[in-house]
Amino acid sequence: MNAPMIQCRGISKSYHKGATVVNPLEALDLDVAKGEFLALMGPSGSGKTTLLNLLSGIDSPTSGSLIIAGTEISKLSRRDLTKWRANHVGYIFQLYHLVPILTAFENVELPLLLSSMSKKERHSRVETALSLVGLADRMHHTPAELSGGQEQRVAIARAVVADPPLLVADEPTGDLDRESATRILDLIRQLARDHGKTIVMVTHDAKAAAAADRILHLEKGQLLLNP
Amino acid sequence: MNAIINLLNLAWIQLIRHRVRSLLTIFGVASGMFLFTAVETLQRSLAKATEASAADTTLVVYRENRFCPSASRLPEHYADEIRRIKGVREVIPVQIVVNNCGASLDVITFRGVPDALLRKFAPEIEIIEGSEEDWQRRDDGALLGEVFAQRRGLKPGDRFDAAGVTITVSGILRSPFAQDNNVAYVKLPFLQQASRAGLGVVTQFNVRVNESKQLEPVASTIDELFRSGQEPTDTRPEKAFFAETASELVELIGFTRWLGVGAVFAVGGLVANALLLVVRGRVKENAVLRTLGFPGRAIGLLVLSEGGMLGLAGGMVGVGLAAWFLRWQSFTMGNEGQTLAIQPDATVVAVGVLAALLLGVFASLWPAIQAMTQPIVQNLRS
Repeated sequence: MNAPMIQCRGISKSYHKGATVVNPLEALDLDVAKGEFLALMGPSGSGKTTLLNLLSGIDSPTSGSLIIAGTEISKLSRRDLTKWRANHVGYIFQLYHLVPILTAFENVELPLLLSSMSKKERHSRVETALSLVGLADRMHHTPAELSGGQEQRVAIARAVVADPPLLVADEPTGDLDRESATRILDLIRQLARDHGKTIVMVTHDAKAAAAADRILHLEKGQLLLNP
Repeated sequence: MNAIINLLNLAWIQLIRHRVRSLLTIFGVASGMFLFTAVETLQRSLAKATEASAADTTLVVYRENRFCPSASRLPEHYADEIRRIKGVREVIPVQIVVNNCGASLDVITFRGVPDALLRKFAPEIEIIEGSEEDWQRRDDGALLGEVFAQRRGLKPGDRFDAAGVTITVSGILRSPFAQDNNVAYVKLPFLQQASRAGLGVVTQFNVRVNESKQLEPVASTIDELFRSGQEPTDTRPEKAFFAETASELVELIGFTRWLGVGAVFAVGGLVANALLLVVRGRVKENAVLRTLGFPGRAIGLLVLSEGGMLGLAGGMVGVGLAAWFLRWQSFTMGNEGQTLAIQPDATVVAVGVLAALLLGVFASLWPAIQAMTQPIVQNLRS
């Protein structure tokens, strides 16, 4: 049997907020298979985004073991974690977070700038990513010249351009109208189905979650078995 | 290497697409560097005129306890006695007439030298208009330094009157020594008569010795020789003479160093402030870049590059404008009959541009440290 893409064992996260200690995640266990599209749901403050931050390597667990694609990332140094992040994770934000002064092409190119890739190869990859999200004809537009749905598609192209095995999406349709949201969800599902990406998506929207292979509910930092 | 070039390119894009902010910062840096270059030019021009070097072999014999040329009246026959001193190669009697003996930015200086000795006094001069023969032929002929002629719009054949001396322009000369480009050379007897000093009276003697190490012993011998003469002398190496005679000028220019220091601090503060604002405005953008796999040092390098580019651009504009302005205006500072041409050189320009670049980078250090140490998760939420 293949090892899961994501293997969380007893991971907890705590931090200080003034004098009190907050525990957004407590002893959480989770396995996600390679190529699986997982939706995480739960009320605000349930620990969804904290879990996403840990999976994407922009935050570290206080305790527990977190193995992704065979690497125990909870034990990596900050420097190694940064390098790992560049090669293994694509992050899709709710508010797209594109750099406003850069064109769609330049935004998508960002994750490749620190690689040893040649300019030609980099440009070819960016064009492929933008074609994949259906924006080949908008590559020289700045975010201000794009609709919300188009901006999110640029953000998805940016997330996949380095060909990471794992994509994490934090409410990717939360700021979009229904039609744009449907297109984005189709695209994300296509990335899992046709390109073998493992996807973990946080959402409040049950319709969005329904697009995933599996839905998990989080509450007070723990997975609910029977939501 | 590829990554660094890409980061520099990204920093460049940030600057050119935030055009107004960049231009305002560059304008501020340029203003500071303009002042810095003007001050550095003053300092360097003064240093060149006063710092002795191993190649110096010229002494100036002046009347003891006198400074303004009109007060230094030495008998011309002293030349024959000086010429007999061991180690002396050449003695040139010189009459100097200036329109203003105090510190001034617009000094007109006439140097009267024996016509046969002009080429010995200033062998490096080159006649670029008119002719030396015309100067030899005419009693009132003058060879004008090209800056002198340019400032007053004079050309060969023109007549010119200043400090009670009326001359006819015979030619325009160019010299590698900036001071020579700001004076008018006339014949010694003509200037003695025109200035009413009288024939046989000169302002100073320029004495060339065989070797630099003979400067001191020859100077002492000359002063000893005339100690009890009708006009006692004070003999010093040419550059020391300039430094002492134009001491007010030296003090004034020394003070301007503080203006240069002020300009440097102003530029540093301006770039630091601009970059701090940039970093604060880009908190979320930097967090996104970190999420995409940019290490903190790459974010720091981006900020440092922007600071360096702003400094370099402002430096090139400010230093370039200052160098052009100073060349165009050809300022000459005069004091006690000594003139100091304020001319920027390649060293001043290179130092100015390099200083601006380093200032830009140095001023961005703190903003860069801030940018590279910002926590990702909190900043994504901000």
